[in-house]
Amino acid sequence: MTETTTQEVPEMAPPPSGLFRRDPNDPGTLPLLLIIPSQVLLMGMMVFPFLLELWISLTNWQPTFGSLWEAEFISYFNYEELILYEPRFLQALGRTLLFAVICLSLEFLLGLGLAILFLKAIPARKLLFSLLLSPMMIMPVVVGYTWFMLFQTNGPINQIIGWISLQGDLPQVEWFRHDATAFASIVVAEVWHWTPLFFLVLLSGLNAVPQNPIRAAVMLGAGPLRIFWSVVLPNLLPVIIIAFVIRSMEILKIFDEIFLMTRGGPGTATEMVSQYLYKLAFQDFRLAYAAAAAFIVLVLTVIGVNLMLRPITRQILREE
Amino acid sequence: MFVSKKMTWWAWVALALALFFAVFPIFWIVSTAFKPSTEWVAIPPVWISGQPTLDNFSAVFISQAGAAETAATAVSETGWRAIFGSIIISICATALSISVGLAASLAISRYRFGGNSTPLMILSGRMFPPIAIAIPFLVMFNSIGLIDTYLGLILCYAAFTLPFSVWMIKSFIDDLPQEIEEAAMLDGLSRVQAHIRFTIPLIRGGLISTSLFIFILNWSEFLFGLVLTAKDVVTIPVQLSKYFAATAGQLYGVQAALAVVAVLPLVVIGYFIQTHLVRGLTFGAVKR
Repeated sequence: MTETTTQEVPEMAPPPSGLFRRDPNDPGTLPLLLIIPSQVLLMGMMVFPFLLELWISLTNWQPTFGSLWEAEFISYFNYEELILYEPRFLQALGRTLLFAVICLSLEFLLGLGLAILFLKAIPARKLLFSLLLSPMMIMPVVVGYTWFMLFQTNGPINQIIGWISLQGDLPQVEWFRHDATAFASIVVAEVWHWTPLFFLVLLSGLNAVPQNPIRAAVMLGAGPLRIFWSVVLPNLLPVIIIAFVIRSMEILKIFDEIFLMTRGGPGTATEMVSQYLYKLAFQDFRLAYAAAAAFIVLVLTVIGVNLMLRPITRQILREE
Repeated sequence: MFVSKKMTWWAWVALALALFFAVFPIFWIVSTAFKPSTEWVAIPPVWISGQPTLDNFSAVFISQAGAAETAATAVSETGWRAIFGSIIISICATALSISVGLAASLAISRYRFGGNSTPLMILSGRMFPPIAIAIPFLVMFNSIGLIDTYLGLILCYAAFTLPFSVWMIKSFIDDLPQEIEEAAMLDGLSRVQAHIRFTIPLIRGGLISTSLFIFILNWSEFLFGLVLTAKDVVTIPVQLSKYFAATAGQLYGVQAALAVVAVLPLVVIGYFIQTHLVRGLTFGAVKR
């Protein structure tokens, strides 16, 4: 606002009254009032539980022993035991990372392929687009249930494999009984569920790639691969990074699908961090111990946020 | 573009495979919902039932008195309580999340409250694995009597969808030129009035999309519903996992019927907000 307009205001408008109108350029306490509810909610539901969890993790509390406040303070004992003597926790962490890397790579490649396919003149484009996006709308629990049914030993997947392999009998792959196949089955479910996100994001990225550099490259005789690599990919990179960051945030938390498909089994073959924590806290009721594990996960999360959000923040906040 | 528009044979094959992969599981669950209990896990699998039945749906919606002799009688209760619970919780949590998020995003977008750190702090809440924060929740809720209540879950769901609503609404407000509010204030409106009479109506479409998006998230939430409830409050996802562990065996068909009922609104909503889906899922980073 320029100086002249501020001087004209009193003539046009009635004299300022009320809390927020002393100076048109000074919003006063309004921003603070607006931000308070969100901060209260976040303090109560994130920050306070975070601190409470730290406290629980430093005690030997178990619900059967009585109230938390009577529990003994045992300092870092839970952490020591968790990291030095409980390989299951670190294994679950490693497994979650492995799962994330496998799934995200597959989702990215499939999503990119589909997005490129959709640059062609596809018939019934809108309908097919909606159909291809539909897995994303299904709630995770239902995704888990559906793939549990499909991967039954007598289920349609074994049937289809039988047709393809041209054997008369059904090959009786017991998907949930073996480590590798159980892992593969949750990978398939996850890839099915979230490839549409990569497809959607990459397609909107591809449509936003400027056309002139591509025309220039064609004029200079570059082939499609070369154009993709040198012109399209660099333009797509910000979108790719965003898709990866957002998907890794969600995939590291995976719980629902696995809870319905394998419950982390057989053994611990599909046990991700969330399954491990769930078993510790809500099946074995070793709450203090689980809290220590959960706190480590939270701290790793916070570190992860700061590392991963750097590119995305630059992207999002750049325009302002 | 760098690929030709023409459909080659491999493009057709890839398209067909992708469609099959995307649609087949959905087809399977819908088909299972209409199968009589003998066909749920038949050998070989039944693709489309020869004798389609509504038994599974009646097990979800109608009490079992009339449904004798079907496996549906094993269902101890209808799905109504879960459906009711999900509706109440999702709607209230969405309303809370959106109103708090709208206020916060105004402060962030229009007054740059806290610079970049406030939106980042809010976003980092989304990264907490729910299970990791569920343990202190259990303790907290136990001591203030919020365990197994609608209010407890509503607060929980609202807090965990807040990052999405703040970032998504913020991206809509950012798109709106600030001059509109400035002009309104020159005409004598206060800041609050300018926001109520101009900012909010102008992002109405965005607000609706955001609400629907948040509703999908709340409707689908499973873990808090599982961990923070006991017997009074049930949500659809929790009920779905209960059929699974029912003592009377695996009620696959009933489960499929409830799954279809649960997913139907999501698919409809998803179709309506398709244009804003990218924005929602990427926290407003990709706007299309």
